[in-house]
Amino acid sequence: MNLTSTSPIPKIPLLLIVEDSNEDFEALHRLLQRSPMKISIQRCVNGEQALAFLYRTGNYRDREISLMPGLIVLDLNLPGTDGREVLRQIKQDDHLKIVPVVVFTTSNNPKDIEDCYRYGVNSYIVKPINFEQLKRDIQTLIRYWFEVTKLPEHLEY
Amino acid sequence: MADKTIDLTNCDREPIHIPGLIQPHGVLLVLQDFHLEIMQVSNNTRKIIGYQPEELLGKQLSYLLDAKQIQKIQQCLTEDFESINPLDLSLKHSNKSMYFDGIVHRLDSVIILELEPKKAKQKTDFVDFYHQVKGTITRIQKAPTLLEMCQIVVKEVRHITGFERVMVYRFDQEGAGCVIAEDTDQEIPYLDLHYPPSDIPKQARHLYILNWLRLIPDVNYQPVALIPPNHPLTNQPLDLSLSVLRSVSPIHLEYMRNMGVTASMSISLMQNQQLWGLIACHHSSPKYIPYNIRTTCEFIGQVMSVELANKEASEDIDYKMQLKSLQTQFVEALSQTKYFLDGMVQLKSQLLNLVKATGVVIYSSNQCIQIGETPSEAEVHALLNWIKPQLDQGVFETPSLSKNYPDGASFSAIASGVLALEISRVHHNYIIWFRPEVIQTVNWGGNPHKPVEVLSDGSFQMSPRKSFELWQETVRGYALPWKLCEITAVTELRSLIVGIVLRQADELASMNFELQRSNEELDSFAYIASHDLKEPLRGIHNYANFLMEDYAEILNQDGIAKLQTLVRLTQRMEDLINSLLHFSRLGRAEIMRQTVNLQDLLQQVINTFSITRPQSEIEFRIPQTLPKIECDRAQVNELFTNLISNAIKYNDKAQKWVEIGYIQQEPPNTPLTALPIFYVRDNGIGILEKHLDKIFQIFRRLHGRDEFGGGTGAGLTIARKIVERHGGRIWVESTPTQGSTFYFTLAPEAIA
Repeated sequence: MNLTSTSPIPKIPLLLIVEDSNEDFEALHRLLQRSPMKISIQRCVNGEQALAFLYRTGNYRDREISLMPGLIVLDLNLPGTDGREVLRQIKQDDHLKIVPVVVFTTSNNPKDIEDCYRYGVNSYIVKPINFEQLKRDIQTLIRYWFEVTKLPEHLEY
Repeated sequence: MADKTIDLTNCDREPIHIPGLIQPHGVLLVLQDFHLEIMQVSNNTRKIIGYQPEELLGKQLSYLLDAKQIQKIQQCLTEDFESINPLDLSLKHSNKSMYFDGIVHRLDSVIILELEPKKAKQKTDFVDFYHQVKGTITRIQKAPTLLEMCQIVVKEVRHITGFERVMVYRFDQEGAGCVIAEDTDQEIPYLDLHYPPSDIPKQARHLYILNWLRLIPDVNYQPVALIPPNHPLTNQPLDLSLSVLRSVSPIHLEYMRNMGVTASMSISLMQNQQLWGLIACHHSSPKYIPYNIRTTCEFIGQVMSVELANKEASEDIDYKMQLKSLQTQFVEALSQTKYFLDGMVQLKSQLLNLVKATGVVIYSSNQCIQIGETPSEAEVHALLNWIKPQLDQGVFETPSLSKNYPDGASFSAIASGVLALEISRVHHNYIIWFRPEVIQTVNWGGNPHKPVEVLSDGSFQMSPRKSFELWQETVRGYALPWKLCEITAVTELRSLIVGIVLRQADELASMNFELQRSNEELDSFAYIASHDLKEPLRGIHNYANFLMEDYAEILNQDGIAKLQTLVRLTQRMEDLINSLLHFSRLGRAEIMRQTVNLQDLLQQVINTFSITRPQSEIEFRIPQTLPKIECDRAQVNELFTNLISNAIKYNDKAQKWVEIGYIQQEPPNTPLTALPIFYVRDNGIGILEKHLDKIFQIFRRLHGRDEFGGGTGAGLTIARKIVERHGGRIWVESTPTQGSTFYFTLAPEAIA
């Protein structure tokens, strides 16, 4: 029985995944599917696309969904505008900066890690190769950001 | 001992160029330019030319000489070479013809005419003169050495003049003179005698430079005054600097009498507008030398002056050749070396030979390297600070350091002679050569320290020295003087070294730049490569897992096993990539040295092992407490971890132990503290001798990858890299089946 009947129906959070590798996306998607939470996923394959989505330009001009993503999972090494640039733009934008960004990348370069935190990344995860480890990491990520953490409400444009 | 400033005072101040007096062996007429009106005459005209002075004053010169002779004088003044000094002049008085050498020179607006009586009407002509000197000049030019040339000159001059004693007298830098050649029929030789600088005061030297020949026919002459004493138009005393009859200082005359000299003549020897020395002639009885013979002697002096430079240049020619070849070898060898300082040190014997030194110190930035016999480092340091402001064009030299640097007295035995060369002020590069003291005996022509007498009224009186017995002084604190060619050699050396150093610096800079660029490229390459390699690897890994998850019912055991192998291989591949990345990063990371307590660090490492491998029973032996050292904590932690982990891994004994300790080396003979040698010893499987050279190579494994707990084969490579980054060395001793010991140091060793 729902005691919080007065509260609005919880919205399905939107997760933006910026990932160029189909195999990596496949793995991520597969594990997200298993999550008990209903999460709608939006994938962008490069930086330009991600920025277009966030700013509702180009192909995303007529995007219905007026909500901003609840979380952005960002790969760093992207063709064209890479993840570092995407992160920098998001965190410099007064409006977008409140969206948590999790970098999910192969790079364990200390310089990358330091730079991302300097730009204001909320979390930095190195993609593991081990499948079991990957499962654990994805589960933790979802639970942490969509259950444990309180995100700002009504992230509207 | 007299103060140097006193022994020269009244002598240096005597206005010897305006004595108002002449010697009595000729007459002097002062003529107003243009009209040739006689303005002043010497008070001996009556005796020499038969006219009273008063009779001549105010008259035209034509009163004495005919028009033809006056024309000669005027031509001489316009430097017409048909008529040069001396002029053949004749005067008639009381129907008697008298013949004279006329010597004329101009001084501002007056003309000074001096007349020296001649025996007969000799015509001096250039051809006679030429024949007289031709042979002499040839002999001077052909003389192989400077000293032989001087010997030829004194012989020739004595032959031409008939003086009892003719000497060449050479001045050193301080103005002291030394007789370097002599020709005499007198019993006592003056050869090698030294005379202090005060013997020839400053203004006398100046006159020697203006007027190259002086004659005193009789030291006991009565000086003759000029009438009127001052020039009537200017009321100034007449400048007699260029006069041949000028009366000399009474002090000089007394000096000559003390020496037993009655007649003297001296000719200046010049080099680079400096007074190099004198040709000095002495006679014990009065002796007059006619003007044309004097001219011949003066000419010989001039030829000798010209030859001086040639002779000095060819002096020590063999030695100079030797210096050149030493210099060439030195520079060739130096240009082969990587660093200026290393090169210098390798070439120590050449560096000493280059200037015949017995000790040399090389300064580079703040390092000081001593070769041969040198003062202590602290003494050299203080000396260099004293030298720096005195460097002249980057060079400082002295044969007697303690004379101007009292602190040098304590080490004058090994370093009286100092030659310092500044190579670079910015980089603090200096070379200082030392020469030992040479006890030498100097023969003074009289005691040089007693030229000054204190008069009864307490004032000082310069008086010529009276005693000319050989007075020997042992000069202390002097080394053999640095020869000009040696100083030239090091000056040349400097520019060559600077060239090499600059070139090396350029090369180094461009190498560093290249290195930095290639390092940066490597760095990003390593990360990108790892990323690009890992991505497909992850794909293979994940898809193999998807297969196992999604098709578990369909796959049989064999299929599952193959997929598991696939997964394990991707895992291994990732380990290799990670090791490689870590290794490449290690070579680039800055070493962060700090004081680290190794005992604490080792305890942490051991604790970590007990946590991660609780199942393994290992005895850790630590015989002595490890010291605190300066090192990079994280890297040294990894080093110990790798070595200890190997010691545990490659061990098949029931009772495994690992011993960690250090050996304190005997301190070498340097102020640097001795380096501890650390070791990690085990009772493990050991390493075969033939494999010892392979164990540090990356990914070289001696065992199957699944034996002894596996591993990528990068651990020891990383260990070696860490040690090398600290400037240390790592090596191993091992007995197969008994165990291995890895030794390492963590700091650069001192240069022995």
